[in-house]
Amino acid sequence: MIDNLPLSANFNESPLLIQVAWIASCVLLSVIILLSIYLKIMRFHLRKKDKDNAQFKNEYEAYLIEYLYSGDTTGKINELQDSIIQKLKASVSIKSKRKIIISVLYNLMNEVSGEMSVSIKQLYYNTGLINYALKRLESKRWHIIAKGIGELTRFKIDEAHHKVSKFVNHPRSEVRKETQLYLVSLFRFEGLSFLNNLTTPLSEWAQIQLLETLQKFDDQQICDIRPWLKSTNDSVVLFALKLAQIYNQFEVQDTLMELLAHPKKQIRISAIQVLTHLYGVEAKELLKANFNDLSLEEQICFFGMLEKLVMPSDEPFVEKYLFHKNFEIQLLALKILKSINIDKYMGLSETTTTEKDSSMIKLVNTL
Amino acid sequence: MKKIVLAEDNTTLSLLLKFRLEKEGYELFMAKDGKDALDLIETHEPDLIITDIMMPFISGLEVISHVRIKLDMDTPIIVFSAAGQEEMVLKAFNLGANDFMGKPFSPNELVIRVKRLLTVIPIS
Repeated sequence: MIDNLPLSANFNESPLLIQVAWIASCVLLSVIILLSIYLKIMRFHLRKKDKDNAQFKNEYEAYLIEYLYSGDTTGKINELQDSIIQKLKASVSIKSKRKIIISVLYNLMNEVSGEMSVSIKQLYYNTGLINYALKRLESKRWHIIAKGIGELTRFKIDEAHHKVSKFVNHPRSEVRKETQLYLVSLFRFEGLSFLNNLTTPLSEWAQIQLLETLQKFDDQQICDIRPWLKSTNDSVVLFALKLAQIYNQFEVQDTLMELLAHPKKQIRISAIQVLTHLYGVEAKELLKANFNDLSLEEQICFFGMLEKLVMPSDEPFVEKYLFHKNFEIQLLALKILKSINIDKYMGLSETTTTEKDSSMIKLVNTL
Repeated sequence: MKKIVLAEDNTTLSLLLKFRLEKEGYELFMAKDGKDALDLIETHEPDLIITDIMMPFISGLEVISHVRIKLDMDTPIIVFSAAGQEEMVLKAFNLGANDFMGKPFSPNELVIRVKRLLTVIPIS
């Protein structure tokens, strides 16, 4: 009987819980239908946008190739090139098109060298794209500034040096990193002069990126790093220590020796490591004399130095630490003795009394 | 007309090289990845293959290996490599590549290398 009643009457007669369930189902169904329609429209727009972008990309690629091959040896802009510049100029004012043009130019600039690379850079100027990048530097938003500097770096716009270098001490690390990469990518070792004025910390990642950028250059003639080794910014000192090691800066050994008395332990340890790399024999004698005043990490590091720079005259010093309570110091001391006086080392197994020491000797025997 | 298969995933660079090499009188077949390159090589049996090392689906190294081992072709192969891919270049030579060019490179230099490889007369 209920089946023959109208739907509204059926609904009104049903319990409250069923009514709520029906209403919820209807609302959810409507939401699903609306979302499906929205999704469909959104997908249509995204596909259309992708299609348009691909079409613009093809169009701009063709313009770029035509521009590059229509140039003559004099480097002057001819009529055809000028018409291409005008067409591109008309598009760069639209953000989405500007992005495509920049990506097309950059994709090619990265892959070709010589005259073509210069022509692409020239096109970047002539189309007015550079003005948009420079305008980004005036933005109040940090990510826009960082993007602007990144673009100027990619297109090697060294004329923006003064505008970019003012961001060296920007509060955001991302902006600072882009600024540092701009300076080093474009001005090589000279670009490192930003370290003179750097008051903010230079992160480990930024240091790695700078070193990687520097190693790409053919000319590896490094400038004087002494001022950075004496910097009041600890991260600058640590970076300069890395430079001293990578570029074998034997001439800065005196400054490195001064760093052995630096208030920061990390810097003292790094200085020992760099002096080890640079065969700093004088540092070895100094550290040996002050061994008991060193922290445990420095003592371990010093034994690492001794392993590399050991002389027969160091034997009495090493002997004092053959049974040191620290595993690393004892291991290094035994290894050093083995390398400079094998007879004395072999005799140790007979004189040792503790199980720990005889195990250590057995371990060193296998090395 | 000598046929060249050019495998390069950077469409702008492909177009630039196509334009340049066609101007020199070569017939170009363009592949945007290694898979396309192998199809074109098997279909057209080109006189020269130019391939990038890093490509989607099938790498340049796999293309060289396929050409030399599976197809048993002695078609000259020029390889493009980016900075830091020195080991890849050695592998490419071991697999049978004839020449390589590091990116960024000059398209004019590529044309000279292409001409040199296509005009060498085998001793046998």
